[in-house]
Order: sequence, then structure tokens, then C-alpha cells
Amino acid sequence: MESIVSETLRASRVGLVVRDGRAERRVLADVDLGLAKGELVAVRGPSGSGKTSLLAVLGGLVTPTEGDVLLDGMSIVRLRDHHRTALRRTAIGFVVQELALIPRMTVLDNVLLPFVPDGITSRDREAALDWLSRFGIVARADSLASGLSGGEKQRVALARALVRDPGVLLLDEPTAHVDAATAGELVSELARLRDDGRALLVASHDPRVLDDPRLDRILELDRGRLSPVGAATHTE
Amino acid sequence: MRLSVSLLEHAFAAVLRRRGRNFAIVVGIALVTALAESVTMLTSALIHEYETGAAVVPDLVVQGLVGGRPALLAPDTLVSIASRPGVASIEPRVWGYLYLPSIEANVTIVGLAGSIAQDARILEGRLPRAHGDAALGRALADSLGMRVGDTMALPIGERWETFRVSGIFRASTAMRTADLALVQVADARHLLGMPDDRVTDLAVRLSTSSEAAPIAREIRTLIPSARVLERDLVTRAYALTFGSRSGLFAMMLLPALAALLLLAWDRLTGLGEEERREIAVLKLVGWSTRDVMAVRMLESGVVAFVGTSLGFTLAYADVFMLGAPLLRDALFGWSHLVPALELTPEVSVVDLALLLGSIVVPFVFVSVIPAFLAAMRDPLDGWRAS
Repeated sequence: MESIVSETLRASRVGLVVRDGRAERRVLADVDLGLAKGELVAVRGPSGSGKTSLLAVLGGLVTPTEGDVLLDGMSIVRLRDHHRTALRRTAIGFVVQELALIPRMTVLDNVLLPFVPDGITSRDREAALDWLSRFGIVARADSLASGLSGGEKQRVALARALVRDPGVLLLDEPTAHVDAATAGELVSELARLRDDGRALLVASHDPRVLDDPRLDRILELDRGRLSPVGAATHTE
Repeated sequence: MRLSVSLLEHAFAAVLRRRGRNFAIVVGIALVTALAESVTMLTSALIHEYETGAAVVPDLVVQGLVGGRPALLAPDTLVSIASRPGVASIEPRVWGYLYLPSIEANVTIVGLAGSIAQDARILEGRLPRAHGDAALGRALADSLGMRVGDTMALPIGERWETFRVSGIFRASTAMRTADLALVQVADARHLLGMPDDRVTDLAVRLSTSSEAAPIAREIRTLIPSARVLERDLVTRAYALTFGSRSGLFAMMLLPALAALLLLAWDRLTGLGEEERREIAVLKLVGWSTRDVMAVRMLESGVVAFVGTSLGFTLAYADVFMLGAPLLRDALFGWSHLVPALELTPEVSVVDLALLLGSIVVPFVFVSVIPAFLAAMRDPLDGWRAS
């Protein structure tokens, strides 16, 4: 009972069927998942297993065809689109390698993007610079994003996902295209964010992430079905 | 639709980020607008110019006709019209056309009858006071290379008669004086080969201008062979002439306009990979479809507004500062002697608003559709496609 109460994100019997031309294809089936504050969980699975779709459903980007997704006890599936959009802006952070940054914008402007629809204040600007500073790239704040290395881009994307201080962070293949050292630093940073009390779900098939002992749990997604792999050793 | 200052700033920054494409569209819109507006401005200014000077045109002009062709009038016609009620004055006029081979153009010869007050605002030099004096229109004087005090020759059959240029009409009167040679009545008769007891036409002024139509009908009844021209009809004929000429030009511009719209549609519907990716990023970080569309509308609105404003400014400079060098031959001329007009700028706020509305609104509409489709696209498609 206690574990359910501390869960910040819960997926209950979530299913997703997508149209593929004339045919229908099941992407997710009966997915049950709870993610608590202060937890770092990985979802592994081969390409096409539904990892990206799972993150999109949990983050309110895609509406599941079955089941429900609760954020702090509130269904995000039944929310109207603009409320779900607002939630995505404030309560959930996304890091997607492929949709990292807008290349011809500065680093700071990229990080400030989630604030733009509501209007950017000086406090928002300070928050953005604080996150960039925490990730060691504040010196590049006024540089164009196109000039950054892969690792720098990933840290800027992480700063953008965190700039509105969301409780949940969803990451899709965060270590793709970065070297081993950068991948190690990134996992360390994720562990620190977990220790700050955030709930993190990482979709990856990268052994540099999946073999890291700081993960709390690893889940296996295979042909749309989610199952636990086992508890990872939590190093503190 | 929510519109924060930050959204506005983002839209302006987006205009600059895609400066290459946007610059090309601004240039395209500016060129088409400049061409179309040049025609419209020039036509409006010419009509305005004519209407401004219409006050000096007589209420009625009576011409003689023989076999459907213009013919000279006998003086007894004057007497019969002068006795009609409502006729204030009648001026017999002597005028006609003379071909000048040296400039391959017809010159309008007008005989100056009676005494007219000299007005330095319309004439440099003086009016023809003596036999052999001539006051020329600016375009005619320029074509002949004449200045006040020079001597020129005009043909009378096989012979040439010399005239001294006593004055040159100023450019502000060019609408009526461009090809004019004003001489004494006797000289005009001599040049045009007219007998002393005939006149070209009669300029009739009425006590009340609004009675022009019934009095014209009376004159037609009185002199069945006469053609009576009313001032309103003449003014309307000029307006129609300018209007149809500008209409023809506007029709010629339609392919250019269509090409621009096709180009804009092609560039805007075929969202580049970078733009599609940008929209996917914005959706990912919590922008709504409305936010994406608002930015897109602002971006294309700025591009269209700048292009239209630039085109309007170019047209204004072309017509009112440079004298419409590309259009003057087509819209000004009735002969080789094209008037050197100083046109009065004639632009209303309504015209400006209509112009902006007719270009900016459809352009913004066209550009928002693909952005809307991209924003409505399945986020996973955008995610995976990139």
C-alpha cells in the first residue's frame, strides 16, 4: 500500500494499437508500471519493442487505446489536450536524443523553450543558467546549439527537460551517440537527480546504462509486454 | 489565442533563423506588389490630376459634323446658341493638329483669343502677344530642344514659318499642355489652313453646370449636325481610358502573381526537415498546437508585411519620385510627346489597408496550414522520423 502511495507515475493495463496503413498493429499490451519518487528505472528491449511508444504514452504525448496513466493520482489520459500540454511543460521532462535541440538557436534559448508559451521571466532565465552551470556548460550559453559536441548537446537537452523542475523525467536512449566517458557521467547525473527525489525512467538498450549498478530496477519490454528483470544493486 | 511577448520574440527570431528563404519570399512579394501598386497609384494619380483640372474645362463643347466627320463651324451657330437661356458665355476656339516630321509627332496648335492674365505658376516666359510668338508645352519644347527666346519653324504645306518661343508651360500643367503650341488666332488659322469665317469648335459655359444635359439636348435639336460634348462625359471617358489601360496592365501581372503564390505554396507546404523537427521539439517541450500556429502566423505575417510594405514603398518612389519610367509610355501617352507630369501623391489609408489585407491575410493562411498539419501529426512519427 505504501509503495502505491509514493508512486508519482502509474500506468494501469495500458495498451496501444496504431494504424499502419490499412492494418492495425499492437504496440503496447497490458502494461502495468509504477514509478516512485526517488527511483531510477530502466526499460530495455530491442528496436521496435515499443520503448519509445511507452515513454510517449507515459508522458502524455500519445493517448493509449486502453488503460490509464496517473500522474500523482490524476488521470492524464482523460485530460483535455491543452491541460495535458501544460502538464508536459511543467510536470514531465523529456530527453530524446533525436529531438535534442534546435540547431540554429543558442543554448540558452533552447533551454528556455518550455517557458516561451507562458512568457519568460528573469527568474526563468536564472533557472536555465543554473541548470547549465550544474551541467558545466554555462560558458556555452550564448553559443549556437549546432556547434556543440554530442555530449554537450545531451547535457543541454537534460537542462531543458529539468528547467521547469518536473517531478518525472523520461529519457529515450540518452547515451546514443556519446562516448563511454560521457555515458558514465550522464548516468551519474541521472543518479543524482534520482537522489534529489525525482522519478526517472530510461529507455535504453545500451549496456553502459543497463549494467550500471546505480539503477534501481530494470524492466524488459518485448513485443509490447512489460516484465521485470530484477532489482539492480543500489550503490549509495 | 494566447500570445506572450516571448512568443512574439520567438517568431521574430524564427524569421531571422530562416533568413534565406524568408528573404526570397520578401523579394518576390515586394516585386509583385511594387508592379501592381505602381499601376494603381499611377492610374489614381492621373485621374486625380485630370479631375483637379476639370474645372477649367467648359461645361459644353459644340463641334460641327459633316458626314460623321468633324467639320469647321460657321459663326452664325454661335449666335443661335448664345440666345439659349442658361448659356453664360461662348468662346469660339481655333485649334487643330500639325504633324512635325522632325519629332514624328502631332502638335496641338491652339489659337489664343482675347486677353488672358499671365500666370507665372503655369508659364515660364510670356503668352504669345504678337504675330510669330508661340508658347510651347514642356514635352514639346524638350523634344525640339527649345528654350524661351529661341526660334523654331513650323510647316505650312511645303513652306516653313518661323516662330519665336515666347514661353514654355510648366510641368505641373503637362496633362493639358504637353504637346501644345499656343499662338495668336491669326497664326493658328494660317498654320491650320482655316478660313477667317470658321472656328474649330465652341466652348460653352453655363450659368448652372447641372443643367448641362438639358441644354445639350436643346442645342442638338437646334443644330442637328452638331456634336455636343458634356464635361462629365469627357471626364468619365478619361477615367475609363486610364482605368482600362491600368486594368490591362493588372491582367498582365496576374501570371506573376500566380507564380509567386505557387512559389510560396511550394515553399511553405513543403516544410523542410529542419522545420518539421523544430515543431516536433516544440511539441515535446510542452507547446500546444495553438502555440505552434501562433508563432507560424506571426512569422509569415512579418514576412508578408515586410514584403508588401517594401513593394508599396518601391511603387511610391517609382511613381511619385522617378515619374514611373517603366509605365509612363503605356499609361501617359497619346502620342510621342509624353507629358512630364509632377503627380500629386494620392494614397488613402483604405487603399493601404486593402493592399495589406489582400496580400498578408492569404499568405498567412497558406503558411499556417502546413504548420497545423505538422503540429497535429502523431508525435511518435515526428520523433521517429527525425
